[in-house]
Amino acid sequence: MTRLFALGAVLALGLVPTLASAGSVLDRVMSTRTLTMSSDAEYPPQSFLNDQNEMDGFDVDVAREIAKRLGAELKIVTPGWEVITAGNWGGRWDISVGSMTPTSERAKVLDFPAVYYYTPASFAVHADSKAQTVAELNDKVVGVCGGCTYEAYLKKDLVLDAGGVPPFEYQVTPKKIRSYETDVNAFDDLRLGDGVRLDAVLSALPTIQEAIKNGYPIRILGDPVFYEPLSVALEKGDAEFSARLADTIAAMHADGTLTALSVKWYGADLTRAK
Amino acid sequence: MLAPLALAERGPLRAVLLFALVAAAAAWLDLRESLLGHALAPAIGPPEASGTYGRIAVGIVLGALITANLGLVRILPFAAQVVLIWAELLALFLAFFYSFDLSYGFIAERLEFLILQGAVTTIYVSLIAIVIASMIALAAALARLSRSGVAYGVATFYISFFRGTPLLLQVYLIYLGLPQLGLTVDAVPSGVAALSLCYGAYMAEIFRAGIQGVPRGQTEAALALGLRRGHILQRIVLPQAMRLIVPPTGSQFIAMLKDSSLVSVMGVWELMFLARTQGRSEFKHLEMLITAAVIYWVISMGFELVQARLERHFGRGVQR
Repeated sequence: MTRLFALGAVLALGLVPTLASAGSVLDRVMSTRTLTMSSDAEYPPQSFLNDQNEMDGFDVDVAREIAKRLGAELKIVTPGWEVITAGNWGGRWDISVGSMTPTSERAKVLDFPAVYYYTPASFAVHADSKAQTVAELNDKVVGVCGGCTYEAYLKKDLVLDAGGVPPFEYQVTPKKIRSYETDVNAFDDLRLGDGVRLDAVLSALPTIQEAIKNGYPIRILGDPVFYEPLSVALEKGDAEFSARLADTIAAMHADGTLTALSVKWYGADLTRAK
Repeated sequence: MLAPLALAERGPLRAVLLFALVAAAAAWLDLRESLLGHALAPAIGPPEASGTYGRIAVGIVLGALITANLGLVRILPFAAQVVLIWAELLALFLAFFYSFDLSYGFIAERLEFLILQGAVTTIYVSLIAIVIASMIALAAALARLSRSGVAYGVATFYISFFRGTPLLLQVYLIYLGLPQLGLTVDAVPSGVAALSLCYGAYMAEIFRAGIQGVPRGQTEAALALGLRRGHILQRIVLPQAMRLIVPPTGSQFIAMLKDSSLVSVMGVWELMFLARTQGRSEFKHLEMLITAAVIYWVISMGFELVQARLERHFGRGVQR
């Protein structure tokens, strides 16, 4: 009987919601002098494993700078993307600098204190393709990452409700949308030839450029169709940490740090939407 | 001269049939552009210009090669047959990968980290999970066989749930679900727990079948000799059950080795995680995926060897 009671007590205690309380994440970062960030290891050039088998990329550099300004060391963990966006981090990591689009759906479990850059979304076609404008992709087969904003755009279901997002139009109605686990797999199908499996891929402009740089026989079609705001994310509930990060990112915008990093990784200033 | 003779003894009809089948299939697939087609260029002229004649010629040569090869192999002793067939299949396999035109320099640069970090983590996670799963399985099997309704109920519920849900889902439940109860478990322990619980459930049924496979007379005889219950299980039943348990359990261990790749969703830098990520930055996934496949295979061969040894050990009683 006592044992049953104890078990019940443990369960009851455990069921108390574990949202971060005000200041608790900031306190943890400050007392341990480490900022733990979750990062996707399969998302070059934002974040990836480099030649030295260390995490590298634009997002990693931004996180390193944030950690420096908080007076902490950066530590990186690499859980799957869906584990990051699910929320309920339970203190496993403090922050995501992972090019995450702030959507109202995600805002239910995560806080988005500051947008740090915008990714242009572009269509890529095979080098042999005759298409010259985005409108020619109507009634074609388009590949895209499953569950991401690019898929939402193709399904005409894209909600970008962060401030400062430039307006956009749905310019293409594909015959078929093929969803992949990641964009990179879609490029692997596109490279097989024009129309073999795909006629086009909708993805981040930097990712397309990276693929071209690595010898994929593809090219960028037309102008970007929309600009996606990308924010740092943290677990819901710590307003002090949120405010501190908003200040830090604002300072990094103002003194040109973010622009410099953007030019380093993308060869262009993506820190403001055109 | 020996080959046709050996085949003749075992049925010339079969040899002719095999030859005709292979030749027809090869001609139909049109293998003129293959290595073999190019090797035959002196006889059939440029492969692409040789037309139907070239297709049939290549088919006949391939059919003859395979038939003669099998005929030759069959006159060898058993052990030599096995070695030769392995060598031939392996050579074909390597030729298949070779045709992918992979960047071997890229693999060589990353191989050390892939093994020291990836393979070591995979083996370490699997081994711990194997030990825990075996203990859970034995306990669950005994509970399943016990006369206590409570033990039977708990064991069957456990086995039913963990066999009846996907391992990936269990990994998520433990990793994402437990923190909701205030218990934050790290990635590696979560993965080990999920693997142990899942495979413990499968192996519980194997253990139960093994224990039930030992004739009842053994227990009765031991009881008649005045041995205690615990002693009977430990000294009489389990050693005999092991002979039945080891082969299917070995398969479970190999399956677990590969399923340990599921812990990569929590960001553990094991073999599969590194295979996926190392090639990403330069868009060379196939290189690392094939390398990882080979490493998994080599490790599982190690498991197979251990299994063979255990089988020999526990099979002593029935060997002649």
